[in-house]
Formats: sequence, structure tokens, C-alpha cells
Amino acid sequence: MEFEFDEDQRLLQQLVRETVAKSRTLPEQQLWATYQDLGWLEAPPVELAIVLEELGYAADPTPFLASATWFAPLAGRLPQGSGTGVFDGTGRFVLDADRADEVALLTRDGVTVVSGPELGAERVEIFDPTLHVAHVDAPDLVAGVPDLALMGLAISTVGSCRRILDLVLGHVKQRVQFGVPIGSFQAVKHKAADMHVAIERARVLAYYSALTIAEDDPDRGRAALMAKAAAGECQQTVFADGLQLFGAMGFTWENELQIHLKRACAGDLLLGTAAVHRKALVA
Amino acid sequence: MKLASDPEVEKFRGEFAAFLDAHLPSEAEAVPRPRSSSDLPEWARRWQRTLFDAGYLLPGNPPEYGGCNATLPQQLAHQEELSRRRIYPSYNPQGVGIIAASILTFGTEEQKQRWAVPILRAEITASLGMSEPGAGSDLAGLRTRARLVTGDSGEETGRRADGGDHFVVNGQKVWTPGAHDADVLLTFVRTDPDAPKHKGISVLLIPTSTEGVIRKPFASIVGPDDLDFNEVFFTDVRVPRENLIGELHGGWAVAHGSLGHERSMLWLSYAERMDDLIKDAPSHEEWFATLLMDAQALRLLGYRQLSGEREPAELSVLKLLGSEAVQAASLHVLEAAGPEALLHPARTAPPNHMSLDAFTASWFERYVRSFAGTIAGGTSEIQRNIIAERILGLPR
Repeated sequence: MEFEFDEDQRLLQQLVRETVAKSRTLPEQQLWATYQDLGWLEAPPVELAIVLEELGYAADPTPFLASATWFAPLAGRLPQGSGTGVFDGTGRFVLDADRADEVALLTRDGVTVVSGPELGAERVEIFDPTLHVAHVDAPDLVAGVPDLALMGLAISTVGSCRRILDLVLGHVKQRVQFGVPIGSFQAVKHKAADMHVAIERARVLAYYSALTIAEDDPDRGRAALMAKAAAGECQQTVFADGLQLFGAMGFTWENELQIHLKRACAGDLLLGTAAVHRKALVA
Repeated sequence: MKLASDPEVEKFRGEFAAFLDAHLPSEAEAVPRPRSSSDLPEWARRWQRTLFDAGYLLPGNPPEYGGCNATLPQQLAHQEELSRRRIYPSYNPQGVGIIAASILTFGTEEQKQRWAVPILRAEITASLGMSEPGAGSDLAGLRTRARLVTGDSGEETGRRADGGDHFVVNGQKVWTPGAHDADVLLTFVRTDPDAPKHKGISVLLIPTSTEGVIRKPFASIVGPDDLDFNEVFFTDVRVPRENLIGELHGGWAVAHGSLGHERSMLWLSYAERMDDLIKDAPSHEEWFATLLMDAQALRLLGYRQLSGEREPAELSVLKLLGSEAVQAASLHVLEAAGPEALLHPARTAPPNHMSLDAFTASWFERYVRSFAGTIAGGTSEIQRNIIAERILGLPR
């Protein structure tokens, strides 16, 4: 196995990072148009994971994740406009179902694609104000979560966690107490190191999942469960240590940290938590 | 990124697997068991020499040093084939993996022929003398003193002088695995007490038969018969200058090199332990999923590291993740066995004559030995400091 990005993948990562940093303040519609112009929705699984990690890092407000990893694997094509998928058999807490142009439904009779506006799903109020989630009322829904959807949510969550760690590192390097930056204290360093290890672990498992999907390897099902479980576990460590290290400042609404904490936590809760996927792995 | 292995790697793997099938010592041959990590029974010497001659001992080396110029992925395949069968290439692992490797990196041509080759060919065994009672994690604080002197008078040639034809060593090492069975010790000594602590260290090869070297083995927590640790005392031990490895006062570079050798593939030993637990104690409990994920993630990080484009500090992530995952899983296995885990000694894995007892020990022994992973070779606390300071950029 070769498990390092090749030159093209590195260039893509660089491009995504620069684009996302530059367009951070653009309105949502313009962001969405940019992603479409750059062809990111069409990216194959590993390249898609590279894009999603950076979009997770930026707490992307567009329906990119749902379109590329919830709609596409179900419908077998990209959506006209934006899209999402319903594949957990309940129709509850569906990402972007309130604003998607097309919704793919996994039903007893197979996959049906319906118009989002006609479906008329209403947005549910959740703790993350930047994330769109809705309940879908449709008959004969059955469960069958695509590997790509698990991988997508996993790598997005890893991106959120990386952002939390970066914000925390910035804080502990400049916050001075007892005459020194608090980042010089070992108790702080060790938490930061644990956050880094959790991120690296979840990150490689997410990319392994993407790679097994790209090559349609027999291990792809197991790899997707591992990716989602590890991302959830990573989030639990990074959320707790990150919020703790940021101190009271991280506990405020105006601090940017909250956006990424909530994204990361939602990433664990959607499509089954770490515990759910651990159980599935050893069932 | 791709899942498939290079054809050149798979060809190498196939050839090595065929070699193992053809040359592995039989169960009847593999007696007696090695007593310590520097004890080589005759059969174990023959086995190591067979690997040396075939270029399979340290495959990355050139043929004159027991290798076949294998690439890094081929070296990994070599390790994987050994660990899958729970086979040891050498029963003097520090001698081959650290000491001979350090001599090949830092030694003169003459030192390579005189010491490294005999260690690699299992003619002699070697142990590593780094830690001291007052110098563990803070290795640079070591105090075993070596004075460079001239002639029999023992007249010192000055505190930092580089004249003189031999060293006189006084001090103490501790842990020194297998020292009581070793022929030679790679010993870190202070040659300049006035320099900053990292800049006054040198490395000497000290034959254990030298007058004034006293070795006292002591047992580990596992049991009174588990004798690998040693205290080693040096009293006016005369060491010829030609036994200096690397530059005078330049021992810190050798220390980093030695630990580098130790660490670069160390992660694989944790992956092996996890594979053993996966094979020996399968479970439908959630902790087993964590074990599967840790084992998979460690391998992926290891493969990524092999690309050669990663910082050496990132090896700390692998060591920390691997050693702590083994420990957590070992505790779960111990608990899952319930009161049965009280049995000691006990066999917890299929008997394997090429494996060491640690792999077929009681669940308690396997758990308690996992602490070697989180303490030796840089404790977990030190690894966290390295990650925080060198990767994340936090202030010292």
C-alpha cells in the first residue's frame, strides 16, 4: 500500500486551502458557484475527501457535503443544482433536505429522486445554527447508508477538529498567565498532543475509507465504519480538551471556536455515533 | 495513494516467504530457549547467520552487512512476514538493530569489521548502556565518567584534551538489557564534564571481559526468573581509544542515531502486539472495535511514514498511539478473561518455538509487559512533549 498523497493530490489540497481561505467571506451562493466551477463535486473519492477535509476546516455553509456524499452515491449521479439523500430508514435529521433541489430516497422499491421544493421538508432547529437539517416524511423508507456518506461526514469532522486544534494552539501560545504562555505548561501540552494523535488516527482511517471506495475494495464497508467511529472518538477528545484549554473565552457566543465545536459534535451525532459504529464493527 | 503493493515488493515478499519455509529451524533444533536479550544459544546463532548470509538479516544493508539493498517498502514486507509468523530474526535485537547499526553509521571501517560484522553474524552479542540511576528520560544528564589518559601512569591529559591512548571509565549504568550475557557494551560516557551536558558525551565499546566491569542482573516485575535487566558497574575500566565510536565528545549525535534506528520501525512491534491480541482474544465487545481501529490506524500511519516525506518527530505519534493502544487492549483482554486471568504462568497463544515467551505468557504478563512500551525508548510523557513542541510548535 502507498499511503501518501501524490503530487496532483497535494496540489489539489493546496488549491482547496487557498480557495477556501480567500472566499471565506463570500455569500453562500457564490461559494457554491465557485465549487461547481472548480469541478469539486465530480472529484473521485480520495480527492473528494481532500476537498471535504478543507471544507470541514472552514465550516462550509453550502450543501456540498450532502450533494456529493448523500445524494450522489444513492442516485448514481450528481444533482441538478444541490441534493441530498434519505437512507437511514427513518427520514429524520436529513442534512440539507430543507434546501436541496433534489432529494434521493432509498425505499423498499429502490431509489427514487424527487424534487426538494415539492417534498417541502422543514428545517429543524438544532444546536449548530450553520447546519441545515430537516425531517423528511416519505413512505416505505429503508436503511442502507452509503460508505461514501460515512466517509464524507468522517473527514469533514476531522477537518473541524483540525480547526479547533489550530484555534487552541493560537490561544495557548499567546495567552499569558503566571508570566508565561500557558502553552509552555506540560498539562496543556499533553492535552494538545492527545488532540493531535486523535486527529491523525481519525484522518488516516477516513482516507483509507476513501481509498477503499475508490478502488471498490472488499474492505470498504469495514473501513467506512472505522472512519466514522474514529471521527466520532476524535471529536469527543478534541471537543473536550479544546474547550477546556480555551478556558472561559471558548465558552462565549462571539468566539469562533463554538462554530467548529458544534460542527464536530454534530458530525459525530449524525448517521450514528462512534459507539454505534464500534458496535457495528464487532457485531 | 493506492492499496496495491508494488510488484517489486511482492516479488521480494514471495522470495523471503519461500526462504523462511525452507530454512526455519525445527522445534527440536530450537532448544534451549534464549535466557536474555543477549543470550544466543548455538541454534539461534546459526539461524541469525543463515539470515545474514542470505541478505535477510537487515535487508536494507548492503550484502557485506547482512542485507540486499532492499527498499523501505521491501524492508517493511520483510518485517511483516516475520511478525505474521511470530519469528525473531535475531535473539539479540538491540545488538543487531541498534548497536551494529550505530557502528555502521558512525564507526570507522576497522570498527565495522571488528565489531559490527561479528555482532551481525552472531559471533558476539552486544547490549546497550545508556540509562543510569540518575539519567533516564534526561539521558544527557548521564555521569559515568571516562578520562582520556596516556600510558600506564594513568596521567590525565587534561579535562577536555583529546590526546591520550586509552580511556579510564568509572560509573554505573542500569537496565542495560541482557548485559550479563553480552560480550560487549555500547556505553555512553561523559568525556567532558565542563561542556554543556549534550556536548560532553562520547560512546565507547567496552568488552564485558574487561577488568573492573561488574554486571548484576536483576529480575523484572514478571517473576524472579525473568532476568534481563542489569546494573553495570565500571571501576577504573581501561578502554583503548580505538573503541571510541564517532567523534570524541560527539556522543549525542550517536544517541540520536541509535534511537533513530530504534524508533523508525518500532511502531511495527506495537502493530504486531495488537495483531497477536486480535488473534488470541477475539471479542464482540466494543473495546475490540477500538483495538481493530488502532491497529489499522497505526499501520496506515506507518505506511505513510515510509514515504520518507515525513518529519522524524512524527514517529512520536506512532510510538504513543501504538504503545498506549497495546496497553489499553491488554487490560481489556485481562478483564475479559476474568478470574481465569489469575493463572500464572499460563499459555495464552499457540506454542511457537521461534517466538519468545512474552507472546505465550499469561494475560497478566502480557498486560504488565505492555508498560515496557510506554516507558522504554522515551516515555509516553516525553513523546507528548515532543509532539507538542516539535510538531505543534508550543514553547519549551
